[in-house]
Amino acid sequence: MPECENPLWPCAMTGAAACLAGFEGVTVVIHGSSGCYYYPATLLHAPLQGTFLLENDVIFGSEQRLHEVLDGLSGCGKKIAVVMTCVPAILGEDIRSMLRDYDVVLVDSPGFSGDVEVGYKKALSALVPAIDAETPGINIDGVCLFDPFSTGNVRETIRLLGNASVPVGTIFCSDHLGKVRHAAAYTVGTNRDFSSGVGEWVGGTLGFEEIKATMTKVSSIFPYADPDPVFKEIEREDERIVRACDKFLRRFDPPQTLIFAGFSYATFAAYTLKHYLDAEVLYIGSRNEPGAASPKAGCVQGFSRVKDLIRHYNPDLVIGSSFEQSVDPKPAFVGLTPPVRGIVKLAPHPVTGISGSLSFIENVLNACMDRGK
Amino acid sequence: MTLNPSPLNLSRSGGCTLTGALSVTTHVRDAITIIHGPKGCTHHNFSLLHATAVENERVSLPDIISTGLSESDIIFGGEGALRQTLNKAALQNCSVIFVLSTCLVETIGDDVAAVCHGSYRIPVIQIPTAGFLGGTFQNGVNNALNAIADTAEPCPKALCVNIIGEKNLEYEVEENYAEVCRLLGAIGIPVNVRFLRDCSMGDISRLGAARLNILRDGEVWAVGERLRYRFDTPYIPSFPVGFAGTIRFIEEVAGCFGVNCARVVHEEKNLQKEILTEFEDIAGTSVSFDPAGVASGTFPVAREIAGHFGITIDPGSLTVPLQLSPPVGTNGVRHMLHRWRRAIHA
Repeated sequence: MPECENPLWPCAMTGAAACLAGFEGVTVVIHGSSGCYYYPATLLHAPLQGTFLLENDVIFGSEQRLHEVLDGLSGCGKKIAVVMTCVPAILGEDIRSMLRDYDVVLVDSPGFSGDVEVGYKKALSALVPAIDAETPGINIDGVCLFDPFSTGNVRETIRLLGNASVPVGTIFCSDHLGKVRHAAAYTVGTNRDFSSGVGEWVGGTLGFEEIKATMTKVSSIFPYADPDPVFKEIEREDERIVRACDKFLRRFDPPQTLIFAGFSYATFAAYTLKHYLDAEVLYIGSRNEPGAASPKAGCVQGFSRVKDLIRHYNPDLVIGSSFEQSVDPKPAFVGLTPPVRGIVKLAPHPVTGISGSLSFIENVLNACMDRGK
Repeated sequence: MTLNPSPLNLSRSGGCTLTGALSVTTHVRDAITIIHGPKGCTHHNFSLLHATAVENERVSLPDIISTGLSESDIIFGGEGALRQTLNKAALQNCSVIFVLSTCLVETIGDDVAAVCHGSYRIPVIQIPTAGFLGGTFQNGVNNALNAIADTAEPCPKALCVNIIGEKNLEYEVEENYAEVCRLLGAIGIPVNVRFLRDCSMGDISRLGAARLNILRDGEVWAVGERLRYRFDTPYIPSFPVGFAGTIRFIEEVAGCFGVNCARVVHEEKNLQKEILTEFEDIAGTSVSFDPAGVASGTFPVAREIAGHFGITIDPGSLTVPLQLSPPVGTNGVRHMLHRWRRAIHA
């Protein structure tokens, strides 16, 4: 892997912690130093445990310390999941043997093994999710504590499925642990970057067209499903968005836009901006590998590349994280990618669903109009 | 969190040397910092520094380069990756490159010092860090300050002080500095170098010019000693804390410079009296302090201030908030009292 200036995306260990900490009934233990512990603990706002290794544990082995922590947690009534960090992963200890007397899930996802998505998938796989034919409805996936919109996404997708009279199966990864092995046979997604691979994929919920396609498929699978309330809501809200965007375009040019996000959110943002505002998307700097080859999209994980792109294109609008926001105060900015610092964020806004599109367009229009003030 | 309370393990929650050192090196404006390790370590720290910068209204972000070690580098050694990164960084427009290593690199045994001693276009300074294998967060801070101090040469003394070891990740860092400057300004003593906050290497070269160093607190004692040894500069061991401590601070600094401070002390005592009047509505109440995460030095100050108001400290009563570190100066106490009053009247 080449050197990288100011990397913008977290490591696999953080992804594993984000996956596991989303499940009620799981106690996550970060097996590593306090430095490795503090980042996911502060980022995910979830209760995590740590072994807080010291030099002696590395020299003489981490078994005693790991047992000490696990013994302290025994009796908590929760499944313990141990997430490996870089140093214990290369010590050559037989960690599985060390844990043989404990009922724990081990996730081998040290930071050097990849990015946040890699760790998330490894952790979910370690929980051995399974379909239960008796479980009705549809699972929701793509939910990751690392994503500041995850709570809003869950609520919005539950609302949509409820309006279509379809019960919700398991939510990956924001549910009770007991439901991981009793998932429904079908799944809708909120963010493909964190897809679970559990159940038959029905479709996504990012943007109106995707929701309509998904709901059409849902109604073909479940005879009792009634997607009409969702279709009617889309029709109504689509008109509201068109009206607001049309009014904007009477006074302003479409924003020339740079997008920095995970590829799933980035493609949603690009489509929505083009569709409603005739905006020109100058470039998509995807935090992960872009899913489709495009001259206007590439994997951008370092801050220097972000700075180069913003200075090169001089956009009207930047969609991204507060890293991108810090580069240049002139463009309008909308936060779509973690971290989004410097603002108070309490309400669970979604990106997915009908409310997600409304929220996104609302933020874009307000940011673009405020830019001129 | 699960922490082992045994004496051997006191530093389990002491944080990462890398983060501590970065909180210093990233405040050298004309420097690049290389972190030799997986890029996740760099992201964690960059994200933390970014969050802190946003809270302190700092716009620019530091240049940190990760050697981005992969699994194969870990198996076959990462020295080549470090050399390659150093060569590229040396082409950039900067005065110095700091190299910090991670616990992973320490474990695989890369000879970081040997790579740093190679020939590069600009000076390369290796700061002893190794994640948790190098000690605690504070060890990282002190190692960085000492390594950077060694770049400065002795120079003629002037009528000024240095500020040593400000906590750059502290939320109130600028307010604390402003309070110290207010007191120094009152006795006519300017600040030479903030060692180390938002400095250039040129600023740091003047480190030896101060006649007195003011340490942020006892945690940078080793740095104070090093500077005394290198530049023959005495130090005051802490920023002023509490009412009595603030008066003592004024008298000590003035004493070092042979300045008469009677008027300044009188004015400061008047300001403290005004504060006591402003908050007299909380007098006679009963409060408790939550010790979680609070530095031990905070409690004597809290007790001193409670004593001024006749406030009873009773573990069973209402908990009032305390800062992680003791409030700095008279105005620091005022901020603390506003938070106490909010809690008492809530």
